[in-house]
Amino acid sequence: MRKALLAGLAMATVLGTAACGSDDGGDSGAAGDGGIASTIKIAQVQDQTGTVAYAGLGASEGAELAIDEIQEQGFLGDDVKIDLEKYDTAGEIERASSEMSKAMGDRDVSAILGPVSTQQAATVSPLVGRQKVPTVFTQAGGEGVVTNDYTFRVTPPMESYYASVMDFLEEEGVKTVSVLYNATFPTFAVLGEDDVPALAEERGMEIVQSLPVQMTTQDFSGQAQQIAKEDADALVMLLIAPQSVTALGQLKDAGYENQIVATSVQAAGNIEAAGDNANGLVYPVPFSVAMEDETSDAFSKAFQAKFDEEPTPYAADGYDAMWWIARAIKSSGDSSREGIREGLAKIAAEGYSGAMGEVTFDGNDARIAGSLVRWEDGKETLVK
Amino acid sequence: MQDLLNAATLGSIYLLFALGMALVWGTIGILNFAHGATFMFSAFVGHMVSRETELPFLGVIVIAVLTGAVISSLTMLLAFQPILKRSKNQHAAEMRILIGGIGVAAIPLALAQRETRSSPFGFKSSYKPEVFEVLGLRITTTSAIIIVTGLVMGIGLTLWLRRSRQGLALRAIGVDAETAAGMGVNRTALAFGTMAVAGALAGLAGALLTFQLGAIAPETGDQLVIKAFAVIVLGGLGSMAGTVIGAYVLAGAETFVVSMNWGTWVDAVSFGLIFLILLARPQGLLGRKEVRRT
Repeated sequence: MRKALLAGLAMATVLGTAACGSDDGGDSGAAGDGGIASTIKIAQVQDQTGTVAYAGLGASEGAELAIDEIQEQGFLGDDVKIDLEKYDTAGEIERASSEMSKAMGDRDVSAILGPVSTQQAATVSPLVGRQKVPTVFTQAGGEGVVTNDYTFRVTPPMESYYASVMDFLEEEGVKTVSVLYNATFPTFAVLGEDDVPALAEERGMEIVQSLPVQMTTQDFSGQAQQIAKEDADALVMLLIAPQSVTALGQLKDAGYENQIVATSVQAAGNIEAAGDNANGLVYPVPFSVAMEDETSDAFSKAFQAKFDEEPTPYAADGYDAMWWIARAIKSSGDSSREGIREGLAKIAAEGYSGAMGEVTFDGNDARIAGSLVRWEDGKETLVK
Repeated sequence: MQDLLNAATLGSIYLLFALGMALVWGTIGILNFAHGATFMFSAFVGHMVSRETELPFLGVIVIAVLTGAVISSLTMLLAFQPILKRSKNQHAAEMRILIGGIGVAAIPLALAQRETRSSPFGFKSSYKPEVFEVLGLRITTTSAIIIVTGLVMGIGLTLWLRRSRQGLALRAIGVDAETAAGMGVNRTALAFGTMAVAGALAGLAGALLTFQLGAIAPETGDQLVIKAFAVIVLGGLGSMAGTVIGAYVLAGAETFVVSMNWGTWVDAVSFGLIFLILLARPQGLLGRKEVRRT
């Protein structure tokens, strides 16, 4: 009797699960039967709180603007609605994993905007391949993120466009370079230990000093004095946002006055707290309001109109990611998970113009030329 | 010599932060894990006010100190006091207070993260630090202020605990709370006073560190809590003089690691050193062999 009851309960659970997971008549976007559903559900599994909330919140705003435009234009059909559902990873790897599982478990979710940090993204990347849910990562510039047919990345890895910084230093006549880098931040570790030394050597520059720090380092007075003492022609500074603000002030206090170049982490106003100490700082960005391309400019104006503030590179990520998904759906004519995957790959093969300008792809991974900007009195200007 | 100066600045920062935690933990027995959030939120309030109107150095300090005292008192009133009342004894309350502190810390952290989007924040102030070069050593006015303030507060608090009537009463609570209460010591009033002073110290540290670093992030306090915990254990729980020495030993070890360009080994080496010292002297540098808080 007990066994029969258990068997009955198990059967009911299976049937119930199947019913929950089934399509309710073709209205959902994840059916896989072809065609574009009237409501397409996209999950955003990114930090809405925590240490890198600025990236997730910025991407949310960009994605929302893109959805407005897609719906207003009737890009996917007059009555097609895109529903953006947000899941907060709160800066935690375990939470990213569980929230991704939750999003992937929802059969109505057609595609996902994946976590912004490399550690989180690399952890969920194999899950994405197993569950076969097309996932577009923003930021997450390290290795181990784009690993299978269902993983895509809209933000080009920093090392793919960092050569422009070294070109700038070469043009400035720089011969000797110091490197100060956060060795526990994967993107900066790769740049500081491999890419920058290689790029410098190609241009006949000498790395005279390489100073690694850890994520918890808050005081840079020791490193600043070592850098000032060496007095190299330029400093490549690869630090997270609060570290950069401190390092710039302490470098000035230590008497270092030569050119400092940094990374896109300093964009989005993150360096504003450094005040005058940040003047003259040069860094590469995938997007800046200073960019003059037609599509970048149009994005900046639309964003300003909607949110009454200037867009950040993170907003550009979300905007381009959502438009990439929309183009993918239109291209394959299918809003199912498989249809979107095919469409994303097809669009990647062709490239497109977006908020970041002309975007091409290496497989499923975006590439751009990158723009070099100079921070001066609270504003970015293009370095010609 | 420059390294010694850097170690003195860093040690004073650790000391200013750790003093409040050490005072509360070593006397009324509360390990307050919300101390980091109090530190950060005091600076955050200074940031919010200075965004509206440019403030002088002392103006920011006063706002941060008052905010720290208020937050810490509220934490006592709304979290720790109810936990203490509902617990059978101090021992039973300790774990609950620890978790309660972590819970309380999450609120100001979330508020600051939401407001700043986790971007660094600093002060808009008329204060502009100057750099002095003496005998080839470079020091900023902020560093000098931090070193002097750290030493004055550290030595002052140590002497106050040893020589003043209230200090004696606090130490009596640390040794035997029940007997102290029986001798006429008002435990509740002293506990609130101690929490308020600790919060004010957190606010002072928050403002000074933000001036020193240029900006801090909402999570900065969390990182300092671990350092302060290490400083107190290294110096010996209950000994304010031990806390002073512990702060400078930790800062000295970290500065040495940096000067050797082993930047990624800072935490491993400094905490490894603490581990070795504690193996030889489990009660900490100036702690007593007997497990008693004084």
